[in-house]
Amino acid sequence: MTRLAPWLYFAAAYCFIYLPVGALVLFSFQEGGLPVPPFKGPSLKWYAQVLGDDDLMDALLNSVVVAIGSGAGAVGLGFLAAYGLARHTLPGSVVLRGLLIAPLTVSYLIVGLGLLIVINRLGLGLSLWTAGIGHVVINLPLCFAIIYASMGAQQQNAERAARDLGAGEAQVVLLVTAPMLMPAILAAFFLSVTLSWDEFIIAFLLTRFDVTLPVEIWSLLRSGLSPALNAIGSFVFLISVMIVLALELLVFGRRRA
Amino acid sequence: MTAPVTFNGVSHWFGAFHALKNISLEIGEGEYVTLLGPSGCGKTTLLSVLGGFIEPTEGQVLIGGRDLTHVPPAKRPTTTVFQDYALFPHMSLRDNVAFGLRMAGVGRQERRARADEQLALVGLADAAGKRPHELSGGQRQRVALARALAVRPDVLLLDEPLGALDLKLRRAMQDELKDIQRKVGTTFVHVTHDQEEAMAIADRIVVMNAGRVEDEGAPARIYRKPATLFAAGFMGEMNRIPARASGTGVETPFGPVDITPPAEGALVLCLRPEAVKHANGTVLIGPATVRDAAFFGTHCRVHVVPQAAPDLTIVAHLPPDRVPAAGETLALTAEIDAISVFLAG
Repeated sequence: MTRLAPWLYFAAAYCFIYLPVGALVLFSFQEGGLPVPPFKGPSLKWYAQVLGDDDLMDALLNSVVVAIGSGAGAVGLGFLAAYGLARHTLPGSVVLRGLLIAPLTVSYLIVGLGLLIVINRLGLGLSLWTAGIGHVVINLPLCFAIIYASMGAQQQNAERAARDLGAGEAQVVLLVTAPMLMPAILAAFFLSVTLSWDEFIIAFLLTRFDVTLPVEIWSLLRSGLSPALNAIGSFVFLISVMIVLALELLVFGRRRA
Repeated sequence: MTAPVTFNGVSHWFGAFHALKNISLEIGEGEYVTLLGPSGCGKTTLLSVLGGFIEPTEGQVLIGGRDLTHVPPAKRPTTTVFQDYALFPHMSLRDNVAFGLRMAGVGRQERRARADEQLALVGLADAAGKRPHELSGGQRQRVALARALAVRPDVLLLDEPLGALDLKLRRAMQDELKDIQRKVGTTFVHVTHDQEEAMAIADRIVVMNAGRVEDEGAPARIYRKPATLFAAGFMGEMNRIPARASGTGVETPFGPVDITPPAEGALVLCLRPEAVKHANGTVLIGPATVRDAAFFGTHCRVHVVPQAAPDLTIVAHLPPDRVPAAGETLALTAEIDAISVFLAG
């Protein structure tokens, strides 16, 4: 019994985490019209319906674009901020660093509302761009924190050596600093992409005609449960898994090598 | 490629700390110079001033006759071998070594060839495709050397380059460094706190302390006839014997020594352990009691107390053929040539 207990606990914990996802995926293959038990036999018709739905496919593509674009933006800005603050002593460095990280503690709803007010004031009009800007705002602190934390004396010495060998500042950053920090940069990028991919509130507040996938799913949900939603959910889950795998292989695999 | 270096009244402050105090120094073309001193003496700061990493508060740095005091490292004809090697971990050894050539705009083919040539010079020709983390400490050291030499600098700066290596490897690398320096003919400026390393390697040693140059010259001269009490103590083990000036000679606890005193008053007489001999020396120490003795292979290290001065303990390196027993009485002398006298203080 005492030997079994850890295994039971292990199984229970993983059930707790994966049962909802498992149920979601299972009922995406439901033959009937409702994603609830009993399971009436496998069918791919909901997948066919989802793949044939242009609005959904557009939203999926929008989500990919916003996720990659905002991820790249957040990582770029985060890297520059981290490099600047790690390599130069500025007046009020501590305050600047704090201000960069502080937005992590603000709820997405508040960030979204704030941006909505600013964007309306500026008369920019809501679009995927504004949703992307919103995602850069929420992911920048995270990217900054991850990259800043991995900037150590090792890079600094290598940068010094590069300057000694005739490298200009741009060459130092492109040929030495960024490649040496690549694991942290990739980790920050994939994390941003994943968070943007899942994000609903800001995308909901800051988009209008072109929407991202979570917003599209939400509007479908209003017309009731359907196995089609499960199929979309399974898709989203599959893509998230692929991102995590890519992260694992590209970043952590590289670190082990 | 090689050039002389001149420091002209160089001073530097880190905030309120006076790190370099009006240093003027000439380093000849193709010379191997070591800057020797304890930590905090300013030797690394002086090297950083030469490399362009620190702009001195005052004074000038001339390389090959040109004033480069305010020129950044990238534009100087100097390169540095850093203490922690600072290799680029994401590049192969060949790309590491070729980096400076790439920055100088040398074409891919040529820089590959020149990098391979440099790797061959340091004995790593077949490892060109490897990454730095696959190498041992000594091999990384060689890559750092090859990388710094690849751009054919006029002056190569070495910042405690052998500090992280074990003793045996350090001795081997010293010989190799000297050898490579002779081959390439570049001026080498090497910072170290290890006086044996300095003596093993340098044409000329510059002994530094508290931001000043204490002594400079050939290793043997500095060892035998140091200019200051600090240089005497730093260059190796030394017996410091309290003495007084008396006329044209010096009075010591074990008798008068015929050596010209630098001034009146309290003096310190410096005597190297190996200058103490059984007999035939020109200075008489007289009968001395052995306190303890240890066998070191090349010599016996013996603590002796001269009977004329019971409060004084002298360290002597005596011939290894016989290890004296504790309590034994020996008749000792010393070589006058190996004795220096300084003002106490």
